[in-house]
Amino acid sequence: MRPAHCPVTAARELCAGVFSLWLDAPRIARQIHPGQFLNVKVSSGVDPLLRRPISVCDVERSRVRLVFRVVGRGTALLSRVRAGDDLDVLGPLGRPAPKMRGKDVLVCGGGIGTAPMLFLARRLVPMNRVQVLLGARSKNELLLVREFRALGVPVKIATDDGSAGYRGTVTELAAEQVKGQMSKVKGQDGGGRLAVSGERFTVFACGPKPMLADLVKRLDPIPVWGFVEERMGCGTGICYCCALPKKGGGHVRFCEDGPVVRLNEVVL
Amino acid sequence: MNSSVTIGRTTFANPVLAASGTFEFGLKFPAVANRLGGVVTKAITLQPRAGNPPPRIWEFPGGILNSVGLENPGLESFCSGMVPYTRKLKCRVVVNIAGFTADEYGELAARLNSEPVDALEVNVSCPNVREGGALFGQQPRVVEAITALVRNRTTKTIIIKLTANFVDPVETAKAAESAGADGVTLINTLFGLALDGNGRPFLGGRNGGMSGPALKPFALFCVDRVAAAVKIPIIGCGGVMSSGDALDFMSAGARMVQVGTASLVNPEAASDVWTGLSEYARKNRLTDWAQIVGRARRQG
Repeated sequence: MRPAHCPVTAARELCAGVFSLWLDAPRIARQIHPGQFLNVKVSSGVDPLLRRPISVCDVERSRVRLVFRVVGRGTALLSRVRAGDDLDVLGPLGRPAPKMRGKDVLVCGGGIGTAPMLFLARRLVPMNRVQVLLGARSKNELLLVREFRALGVPVKIATDDGSAGYRGTVTELAAEQVKGQMSKVKGQDGGGRLAVSGERFTVFACGPKPMLADLVKRLDPIPVWGFVEERMGCGTGICYCCALPKKGGGHVRFCEDGPVVRLNEVVL
Repeated sequence: MNSSVTIGRTTFANPVLAASGTFEFGLKFPAVANRLGGVVTKAITLQPRAGNPPPRIWEFPGGILNSVGLENPGLESFCSGMVPYTRKLKCRVVVNIAGFTADEYGELAARLNSEPVDALEVNVSCPNVREGGALFGQQPRVVEAITALVRNRTTKTIIIKLTANFVDPVETAKAAESAGADGVTLINTLFGLALDGNGRPFLGGRNGGMSGPALKPFALFCVDRVAAAVKIPIIGCGGVMSSGDALDFMSAGARMVQVGTASLVNPEAASDVWTGLSEYARKNRLTDWAQIVGRARRQG
């Protein structure tokens, strides 16, 4: 797999410290599925040496969108990329999120974890009943709300400080939503928890680790598919440097077995 | 020119190998592997190992620290689950073996002797385990004993992967040579410690192994020094990112090179190193690698 050099067609800051890049990348746009990521070279030299894994936020014809937050030196360098520059990217990498059909799907994004949920929701919408829950610390840190609303599905907002939507966390919102669904299902077929935790209902989430851990706890026993956004070495499965402990021993290599993993099966 | 290199009983099509731990088992990128002289597998231990807890990687200017801790499926799973696939590769397959006692190296060598793999790289230099590992490689007598033990249990080519952590690799390379090693690889990663900014060790395994381009001058120094002291072939390793780096290692006395950390940045890196090296050979009308191997010492 050869790295591709892709022209940047648009670059802008969405809110403080969060940046959006559109790349002209026809091959990647054709091949990539929700859940997959690109490994991006942020300097032409050896400092920083490693690429930075970034989930794809959206795809439009031959273009691919990356949305990332500046968290360190690598992403700070990436934030200086301008339209007209070339970006050296490797991908698509990782295993696509499981495909769904005819399901009730809850899509939860917290903070910068909102970004990969957009591409996921876009692909889920035609075949499923999708609800979107977005969370941030406050109104001005909410991301991509307009794009999610344009999908034509219910979008609910939670902010820690109550400056927009529900005052509280997106996980509280998710728990309420699921309880509502559970009682509906109970009323319909009497199956209760089993029916909900089984075939019909699926939850996808991306966000900070404490958010994901809280979500798993609140929604138990409903399985939650989480997008893991952590430090990686190669992104291609050859170095064994990214590891998430599995309940019951061993590790998940989330660059290759993920980055979408069943959160109920790992130790966050 | 004939670009092959022979070490022990094994002839490699060209002098470029993928280094252990940085190319899995060669199965993720078989097209790259097939262009190389060979692939050195991730280290195999007798029992399966889950490896160290995360985080396992840290970056510094010009390199990385890793603390994977020899995560691997264990000898039997490797033989039954991996070898049927690695044998289909068109390049040579070198199995890196790591033991926690001297006897374990013997057992690993004996079992692998009947498998369709080409050579063994004996890892006496892993920095990321509490027992064995680099501790073995720091003691010439232990290196000698392990080499002799492995030599006794296998007819395959054996290469000893040496450490330069707190030991003069000249002494351990001589020990390996005297006990019947066919070649030595140097250097493995160097000891390193990363702190998280709040005074706590960052890596899950606490200490790590340094690799990447920052290591190259020291690795070259080691190769140059050992080349003057032993007759068995040296495989140079430590910061090879380009064919220029590979040429430097060969000039310092290495017959082959291993590409490691570079593969994490670009999975085609080792293949690109070979492309560059073969172009150099063609442009300079080389007739034999011997024209460049060790020329640093011939030229002063």
